[in-house]
Amino acid sequence: MHSCNLDVEICKLSKIEGHADLDIKIRDGKLKEVDLKVMENVRFFNQAVVGMQYSAVPQLVSRICGTCSIAHLTACIEAVEKTLDIVPSRQTVTLRKLTTYSMMIRDHALHLYFFVMPDILGIDSLLDVPEDKHDLIHDALAVKEAGNNLSELVAGRAVHAPYEQVGGFSHEIDEEKIPAAVEGLKKIRPTVLKLIDEFSKCDWEFRRKTNFVALTTDDFSFLEGKIKSTSGMEIEEKDYWDHLHKVVLPYSQATSFDFEGHEYMVGSLARMNLNRESLHANTKRDAEKYLAKFPSDNVYDNNLAQAIEILHAIDHTIEILENTRFQKEEAAKPGRLTGSNAGAIEAPRGTLYYALEIEEGKVKSMKLVIPTAQNLVNMKKNVEQIVSGFCALDSTKEELEKNIVREVSKLIRAYDPCMSCASHFLRVRWK
Amino acid sequence: MTENEKKRVGIFSLTCDEGCGIFLTEIFNRKLVEWLEKIELVYFLAIKDHVEIENLDVALVEGVVTSERDKALIEKIRANTKILIAMGTCAITALPSGQRNNFNINQLKEIEGHLEKYKFLPKALSVKEAVKVDDEIMGCPIDREKFINTFEKYI
Ligand code: SF4
Repeated sequence: MHSCNLDVEICKLSKIEGHADLDIKIRDGKLKEVDLKVMENVRFFNQAVVGMQYSAVPQLVSRICGTCSIAHLTACIEAVEKTLDIVPSRQTVTLRKLTTYSMMIRDHALHLYFFVMPDILGIDSLLDVPEDKHDLIHDALAVKEAGNNLSELVAGRAVHAPYEQVGGFSHEIDEEKIPAAVEGLKKIRPTVLKLIDEFSKCDWEFRRKTNFVALTTDDFSFLEGKIKSTSGMEIEEKDYWDHLHKVVLPYSQATSFDFEGHEYMVGSLARMNLNRESLHANTKRDAEKYLAKFPSDNVYDNNLAQAIEILHAIDHTIEILENTRFQKEEAAKPGRLTGSNAGAIEAPRGTLYYALEIEEGKVKSMKLVIPTAQNLVNMKKNVEQIVSGFCALDSTKEELEKNIVREVSKLIRAYDPCMSCASHFLRVRWK
Repeated sequence: MTENEKKRVGIFSLTCDEGCGIFLTEIFNRKLVEWLEKIELVYFLAIKDHVEIENLDVALVEGVVTSERDKALIEKIRANTKILIAMGTCAITALPSGQRNNFNINQLKEIEGHLEKYKFLPKALSVKEAVKVDDEIMGCPIDREKFINTFEKYI
């Protein structure tokens, strides 16, 4: 047990709409405070959409986030459609599932291979892996590429997908390209099984009782269903906002939320805890022994859950592509031009909710709830527990610093806080 | 090529969604292994921690210059790189990430407190307006072929 004073500042922690810093203050050997400061420059999307024609809004909000742009696009389209009584066709719904799967494959792969794997291997960057492990770089790029190709085939591009629009898709799938896409997915399937096995062997552990919340779907397709929590709640998508309370984070350019008055966690781990029964049959068959780990309250199992979700995305996509004939369709039309409603989907990092008020086809207001923002309170409490644990140990001040930075960075990265800058916070500045 | 002869490349994000950087990681899927023969990635927070802004041959920059912090960063990048390439429409035209530039009075009123508190510049600037750029790649996000052609000129 120390009696030291120590300030630890971890710079550029994660992205909400960008960067966040983490400041930890230890006084007389005890944790005094953990400040999670979201430092990113706001780009004022809530204001920018006011007065815009409804059909243009989804492509604009896609620009909120580069890596999960498809999630913003899809959730916003859903909110517009529910507000204006637009009923998408079955084919449109299928294409949205494929688009979402393409995002999950490449986004989770980026996180697992490029952000987390270096921690497992004890290196700075995947590019630094020793020669005998160079396969990992090839695996990483191949899995990402299969997801990227699927995005291109279905939605035109992986980032700011141009074909996905209100009411339907502007381009049909080029059926001639389907066999190559299926083959590409089949080729990476064994690689993904290897990745799952790798993460199942990771012995990192951090547990703290919390509530998990996720939108649960019949076929684990991330788009339409009921929002459930491990505390036993079951609510409609549109009512989600009523169960959340804003939590202000001092010094931050962002807010967080609690659910029913308590902190909670959203994301892959929540989905796996609440909805794993709905995974694809082939995924359940081949990942059976790994699925036995769930439900889990070990935050690091979020990584394993993501790897399993890649497999599910591959399996369900193969089934859809092999059994569907796609045809040209007109976009579905609005039943009215004024109203208010909301839609929620599961983005890679958790439940993403959009609520809109539209008047005569123009947006009057927009509210959104971003996955990483929801996880901030939970993350902060986890950090507090880790730091207090280290403070209670008998170690030198240097060891204390080192342990805190290593474990806190690793833990926060397991949440996959939004964006490529998930690894920013590895950069540490000492006061 | 020896390590010393490799071009030192940095990839930077100012205020934006990092969509160009993310799309670049998709371009990497097919090109990275080949490029690593010729370049050393010395700054790319998406995939590495130990980063330097020093003695760069090529800096690829996405996003807009919206705050004093952004301005200091882009000036530092410019001072430390031979070639600076603006990536994406944000870096070239300030849109979409600098959309506040087009706000009407009501919209501006809502955000003015925030602008002041966090030391935003009066207007969001494109990278081109803030410093001299040597080349640019249009698109939101950058176009794959244009990126490859432009980038390969400098490595
Ligand atoms: S140009 Fe588009 S994709 Fe690139 S950073 Fe700006 S908003 Fe993102």
